[in-house]
Amino acid sequence: MTTRPALPAPPTFATGAVRVFGLSLGEMLWSRRTVFLMLVTGVPVFVALVFRIVQSTGVAPLRVNSAPVDGGAIFGMMIWVFFLRFIVPVLGVFYGTALLADEVEDRTITYLFTRPIRRGAVLMGKYLAYLVSTSLVVLPSVVLVYFLLVPLGQVARTFTAFAADLGLLALGLAAYGALFALVGAALKRPLVSGLVFVFGWEQIALIVPGYVKRFTVAHYVQGLVPHAMPSDGVAAVLQSVLRDNPPALVCILALAGVVAVSLWLGVRAVESREYVLDQ
Amino acid sequence: MPIHDQGYRHYAGRRRPHGTAWWVIARQQIRTVLSQKRYLALLLLAWIPFVARVVQIYLAANFQQAAFLATSAQLFRGFLDQQGLFVFLLIVGASGAIADDRRANALQVYLSKPLTRVEYIAGKLFAPMAFVLGVTLLPALLLLVVHVAFAGSLTFVTQNLYLLPAILLYSITLALIGTFTMVALSSLSKSRRFTALTFTGLFFFTTAMYQVLLRITGSRLWAMISPRDLLSVIGDAAFRIPGERALPLWAALLAATAIIGASGLVLERRIRGVEVVK
Amino acid sequence: MIVTSEHLSKWYGQVSGLNDVSVVVPDGITGLLGPNGAGKSTFMKLITGQLRPSKGQVRVLGEPIWDNPVLYQRIGFCPEQDAFYDRMTGREWVTALAGLHGFDERAAADAAARAIEKVELTDAADRKIGSYSKGMRQRIKLAQAIAHEPELLILDEPLSGMDPLMRRRTVKQIKEWARAGTSVLVSSHILHEIEAMTSNIVLINNGRLVAEGDVHQIRDLIDEHPHTVSIRTSQTHAVARELLADEGVISVRFEPDGLVVETMRPDAFYARVTDLAAGGRFGPINEITSPDDNLQAVFRYLVKA
Repeated sequence: MTTRPALPAPPTFATGAVRVFGLSLGEMLWSRRTVFLMLVTGVPVFVALVFRIVQSTGVAPLRVNSAPVDGGAIFGMMIWVFFLRFIVPVLGVFYGTALLADEVEDRTITYLFTRPIRRGAVLMGKYLAYLVSTSLVVLPSVVLVYFLLVPLGQVARTFTAFAADLGLLALGLAAYGALFALVGAALKRPLVSGLVFVFGWEQIALIVPGYVKRFTVAHYVQGLVPHAMPSDGVAAVLQSVLRDNPPALVCILALAGVVAVSLWLGVRAVESREYVLDQ
Repeated sequence: MPIHDQGYRHYAGRRRPHGTAWWVIARQQIRTVLSQKRYLALLLLAWIPFVARVVQIYLAANFQQAAFLATSAQLFRGFLDQQGLFVFLLIVGASGAIADDRRANALQVYLSKPLTRVEYIAGKLFAPMAFVLGVTLLPALLLLVVHVAFAGSLTFVTQNLYLLPAILLYSITLALIGTFTMVALSSLSKSRRFTALTFTGLFFFTTAMYQVLLRITGSRLWAMISPRDLLSVIGDAAFRIPGERALPLWAALLAATAIIGASGLVLERRIRGVEVVK
Repeated sequence: MIVTSEHLSKWYGQVSGLNDVSVVVPDGITGLLGPNGAGKSTFMKLITGQLRPSKGQVRVLGEPIWDNPVLYQRIGFCPEQDAFYDRMTGREWVTALAGLHGFDERAAADAAARAIEKVELTDAADRKIGSYSKGMRQRIKLAQAIAHEPELLILDEPLSGMDPLMRRRTVKQIKEWARAGTSVLVSSHILHEIEAMTSNIVLINNGRLVAEGDVHQIRDLIDEHPHTVSIRTSQTHAVARELLADEGVISVRFEPDGLVVETMRPDAFYARVTDLAAGGRFGPINEITSPDDNLQAVFRYLVKA
């Protein structure tokens, strides 16, 4: 009988999460899903490019609701319409609910759950990989759109708002991702729940007077937006009328709270749940 | 001679004619859907708006005070619009149509049978299309029948003969665009969840894109990129709803045909018995 | 003892996957057997901590396995499912999984390289797993299970998809690991290969433990099936006459070059045959074998019972 070599100490929660992050990041970044995401985030860039080309040809100035507007205003509108109302929450649903569900569906979860790391660390690592992957795709798109739309002469004036946009989008990705990571860990059909939350509950809650809107992520993310909300539909008009912007610090703390609580609950859910693979 | 003593021999029973194999696939899909309680519940719920409209028609036909509820083209247009959510959910439910087969490596098995690719695709399209038409075309036609029954005459129908082709056009276009797109997306993935999310994303994203481009350029021709707005144009035009439309009907139908055609091309390329691994 | 379970049961809703299984799996190589749907997979999932017992308890290497991730430092598991991160190369995959055991980058790479060499995949290690054949995928799965040199290997159908030559080499490899001190619990349908590895088995059927221990001892205990002994001799009738005088002999069947005898008392019978052979009165007795003192027979008798 040979002497067994001494094994290193099992990774701590944090180290385990970082290792899983390393394993998952490559898989996430080069997956077909992310390629599709790049195409989607490329659309605002394309739109911004079209705007820039049209503007540079000296054709009649573009108008939003019949009023001539500059690139900065259009950038604000695109932040609202493309990124805040669609890309960020949908990415949260798209990736967040699939963090472990993909592994279960692909039947690779066994390899991760039979390692000397807590299951919660697996969830955390995958969440971190999601955050980095989506930020790496979404934020550069925002940067490109900004520099395509905003004339150089206005950059200095609008840069603070732009930086705020980047920050709030990152925070939005983090909050939605964490929330739907919890949904994915705790519920059997997380996708439907996620879509109902984003396109059902949040849309309704934001137009209901009172404090109901505080039970949405959108309320706090939108509270940080430095641009005016566009009025493109009845729901949007109602939302802008009934909107009450909490202070920025409250929004940041609330979103940080959503991230922390969701991840904590998600870790607990993953560690107590049994994952039965389809044979 | 007992069966176990009989050696190999050719099947001597009745065979279905060639070209009917698609029905085997379609039948299986329908059975699978109907065996799931949540889909049964959805299909039943989808008929609640029909019941509400029946009540409306009854009241309008029998009570003078309810004359403002009188049947009009707008009733049918509105009804079909209302069914949009159920149609969306039914189509999303078909996200695994081909994705599940790809995941299970079943395409090779299917295509090694006397089954052409066209039959396979037709079988996969049939079930979701049947369900969509079952909650749009069928109840809308029944509403016409109900109106005739309560009104006691065919006057409304003869005065609005365009309603029948309008219902057919809108329902079938809706079913074709939705199911072709979904089944084509399903052929691109092995994950039904990914397919469902992609479809949902595309649906809402194209709508958002149209809104932005409309605001920026002022041109409503951008409605061609949004299936939701395309269908809105087709519906309004078919039911002769007054008001300015984003596109002429022919352009909307052309764009719809292009979406269906593109989906068909994707299916033609993706439904193969083998997959090349690079 | 590597695995102990006491009144272990697992239900999936109304369906019983495993029912009141109490077993002690000793060190060394143990085969886990059972027909399809017997409960082997459920037992495997319970002892690898993927499922929580509905009732009873299970301990692996002396500790409860559920919600005890540190224990996986000492366990290597090779699951049955053919599932991988197809975009990664074999080396990247095994290295990444080794890294989850606390190895630093360099040590993980070395451990992975050693494991890959043991399963004879070094040449293909830098190819994507998606391009591997079934047998190669099976071997890379084994590699990830052994990379951290565990005390206990749990292998679920480890030979599946391998060609006969690779199967022989893997069986040999498993026996070498056992000789080196690693305990192995292997689940398989391929009885003769389990038999080539070990005579110690755990047999599960219909969610219940049917037998555990040495195959031959189990066979001795199966009373309702008489032992079959094949004797090769030229003096078949004379030998048959002698043997039929024994009370324990139930039947004698004549074969072209010998006899096949069924007896309820194998020990006494063997002693009698040995005397006959030594006495030489009936000519040479060329061969004595027992066609059903093996795993296939035990499996057949117990599963069909």
